Amino acid sequence: MYSGIVAMALVALSVVVLLYALHRAAVITAEPLTVLPAQSGWMPQEHALSRFHARWYLASIVFLAFDVEMLFMYPWAVVVIEKGISAVVEMFLFLGALLVAVAWAWREGAFRWA
Amino acid sequence: MAESVVTTVPGGWAVLAGILLCGLAFFAVALDAALSARAQGTGGGWGAPLGRAARLLRQRRRSTVAADTLLWRIGGAGMLVGAFLMIAVIPLGEWTLADLDVGVVWFNTVDVMVWALVWLAGWGANSAHGLVGGYRFLAHGVAYELPLMFALVAPAIAAGSLSVGEVAAAQDGVWFVVWMPVAFLVFLVGVTGFSVWGPFAPALAADIGGGVLAELSGVDRLVLQAGRYLFLTAGAAFSVPLFLGGGAGPVLPGWAWVLVKSVLVLAVLVWLRRRIPLLRPDRFMEIGWVVLLPAAVLQDLVVSLVVVWKG
Amino acid sequence: MGLSGALARLAVRATRVLVVEVPGHWATRMEVEHQLLRRGWRPAWTPADADVLAVCGVPGPELSELVDRLWEQMPGPRVRADITSPGTVGSALDAAAALLLDTPHHRTDAQERAQEPEIPEDADHGGHGGMGHGGMDHGEMDHGEMDHGGHGGMDHSGHGGMDHGGMDHGEMDHGGHGGMDHSGHGGMDHGGMDHGEMDHGGHGGMDHSGHGGMDMAPGGIALAGGGEDRDGLEMDVLHLPLGPVLPFWPAGLVLRCSLQGDVVVDAEASVVDGAGAGGPGPGPAPAAVVWCDQVMALLALAGVEDAAACARRARDALLCGDEDAARDAVERLDRTVRRSWLLRSSLRGVLLLDRAGLERHGLPGHCRGDAHDRLLSRVERIRAEAGGTEPTPAEDGGVPWAVVPDLVTGLELASVRLAVASLDLDPHPAVQAVGHG
Repeated sequence: MYSGIVAMALVALSVVVLLYALHRAAVITAEPLTVLPAQSGWMPQEHALSRFHARWYLASIVFLAFDVEMLFMYPWAVVVIEKGISAVVEMFLFLGALLVAVAWAWREGAFRWA
Repeated sequence: MAESVVTTVPGGWAVLAGILLCGLAFFAVALDAALSARAQGTGGGWGAPLGRAARLLRQRRRSTVAADTLLWRIGGAGMLVGAFLMIAVIPLGEWTLADLDVGVVWFNTVDVMVWALVWLAGWGANSAHGLVGGYRFLAHGVAYELPLMFALVAPAIAAGSLSVGEVAAAQDGVWFVVWMPVAFLVFLVGVTGFSVWGPFAPALAADIGGGVLAELSGVDRLVLQAGRYLFLTAGAAFSVPLFLGGGAGPVLPGWAWVLVKSVLVLAVLVWLRRRIPLLRPDRFMEIGWVVLLPAAVLQDLVVSLVVVWKG
Repeated sequence: MGLSGALARLAVRATRVLVVEVPGHWATRMEVEHQLLRRGWRPAWTPADADVLAVCGVPGPELSELVDRLWEQMPGPRVRADITSPGTVGSALDAAAALLLDTPHHRTDAQERAQEPEIPEDADHGGHGGMGHGGMDHGEMDHGEMDHGGHGGMDHSGHGGMDHGGMDHGEMDHGGHGGMDHSGHGGMDHGGMDHGEMDHGGHGGMDHSGHGGMDMAPGGIALAGGGEDRDGLEMDVLHLPLGPVLPFWPAGLVLRCSLQGDVVVDAEASVVDGAGAGGPGPGPAPAAVVWCDQVMALLALAGVEDAAACARRARDALLCGDEDAARDAVERLDRTVRRSWLLRSSLRGVLLLDRAGLERHGLPGHCRGDAHDRLLSRVERIRAEAGGTEPTPAEDGGVPWAVVPDLVTGLELASVRLAVASLDLDPHPAVQAVGHG
């Protein structure tokens, strides 16, 4: 069942290898050049790798809560026809509760950060 | 597992699938370049993909001082590999490479991988522009991913299966796009999102000198850029079994219809890019959560009520 | 050779050009942009992506240094084209195309050029104002025994009265990633410290924050230091100069931003080389051309490429005096901009200036509203100018660049770019004073 995926991965990897090999053959010098990061020509004052202030961290926490829910959603999608209306009611009560949380987070400004 | 609706072909056919994917992506680059040239009033542009690839193949690679090179390169090459993995589960008419009974989830898995890849490509360069670009993409991801997941679930509910082949086969009478248009639109938003395409390209935008792309040259840039186009193509192709009836259609054989529909969706996505402004992550965050997500959930509700009522 | 020659010819068709405009040489820059597109070439946004470095005008000493560094950052094959007047653009680009085909030349260039960037040993990273180096005393320090595994270049900025006299770093091994951050300690006495047996191999991860300004500097560049953000969280501050060589940016303007995340928490503006150092330019540009150019920049930054292309065509038509084409293009631009609700939602609320705001910053009345309002009013003025039907309203002055830091502090980077592009910044700014944010 997964042999197709493995074959595809092999094809993809060989495309990458092929491109790098082509590049090696065609490039003016195979050795990479080391340069300063682009800052309009100014010297960088510090390394860019740092603690970046991702100001949407609240949104990412709300995302996590919802994302875990997808674990239930996928199997549920397969059996909803079998189980009938009770499954629909249960799932959408649950989703409704989550959406209320989203609405609350929205009101609290979790999705506004500019 | 029940009798499969599609035939699984041997792994060797992966080469053909790869060629088709590359061909369609090539078309997307050419179309984009041609539209761009037309807008500038210069004409031509169809030969652009070859020239651009040749330029990058001839260009020297570069690295920045104290770059996190390994992660940086994984980010770039991973984009190319990911797109290939995504199409492995798309049936071409009656054939498929991998008939996973969780094909839809597989698609989802690969598209979430893009989060890591784009961010790594931005982080690895040790450049402020790349870093800002990488985080811009993550902010977009947090907003587009959930609506995309719920959009993916809608066809699965209707088909009662997560296998892509069965979802396509379930659209015998009427295509899913007809009665789940919201899911289709949200799906396309997600596709442009994980392809870092059009309105979702602030991570690569001019205002930060190309962001994630700012420090890439040579083949390293080529694989990342190619990966984006390949992802756009794979996403467009995935909409065919999910919403557009798969290989259904008159006269032509199924595989041809899959290709034709993919090309059409792809062309629309490429064309739209030129007219839609960039969606800045801070603006889109609210749209994604307050508009797209409830809309997608409602669509799921409607779909599940319909299938329960009918079946 | 045949194959690599064919590849080179194919590659040259997709050439990308990094355009540097010396303030005042707008005409040359616009001509370069015009001719690029006619050849099927495209502008590059950073040196990483550039094959040709097109310097429009004769740069002054400060800009020359930046241009040289950009040149060092170009991967190669690389060609530099110094273009001093609009008339020579065509021949300069032809010469660049011919040189790009010369593979042996580029192979030699790639071998002979510096393979690593030159990073000054002292910590003062050229021209980045705002760092306090006052009162440093390196006199007693003994770097003789230190072994930084070939990375050299410690950053001892802001050491105050530290005495490193007796330090012995002899056996330290800073292999690779260092990761030590000793920022902010002033007044410590390291005299008796013995780092003899320390091993900082690999990712180190030592964090002595709050311990003295002894920044380990991998690769000769310091690590980012912390600072409180507007929510009171301690976050690293990055210093990112915007300009003078940045796509869709006013020529010559430099905005030194301090970033936390992607928010500009502090900014400082200046003009490269001061003004007037760019040598004799072709004089001030026609107003409608400048406005079209500014509209193009704003639309391009907003990401509406078709509309931006339309503005560029209008600009080029105005510039070469083709009135019919100009009027057509301007009309189309007007329609596109007015109809696009997506564009409106994208620019709405960006740098909103009310009457009080205008007065506080001393800005002219036409800056009122947000970026979208300013876009519409500017397109309106272009129409009036190009149509020639109405008398041009009296121009009440451009925006002095010194006010930019006050306007953009607290905005996120994308909004900063849109805000700057939406203002009618004086295209050849004259040096007055340095503004502080």
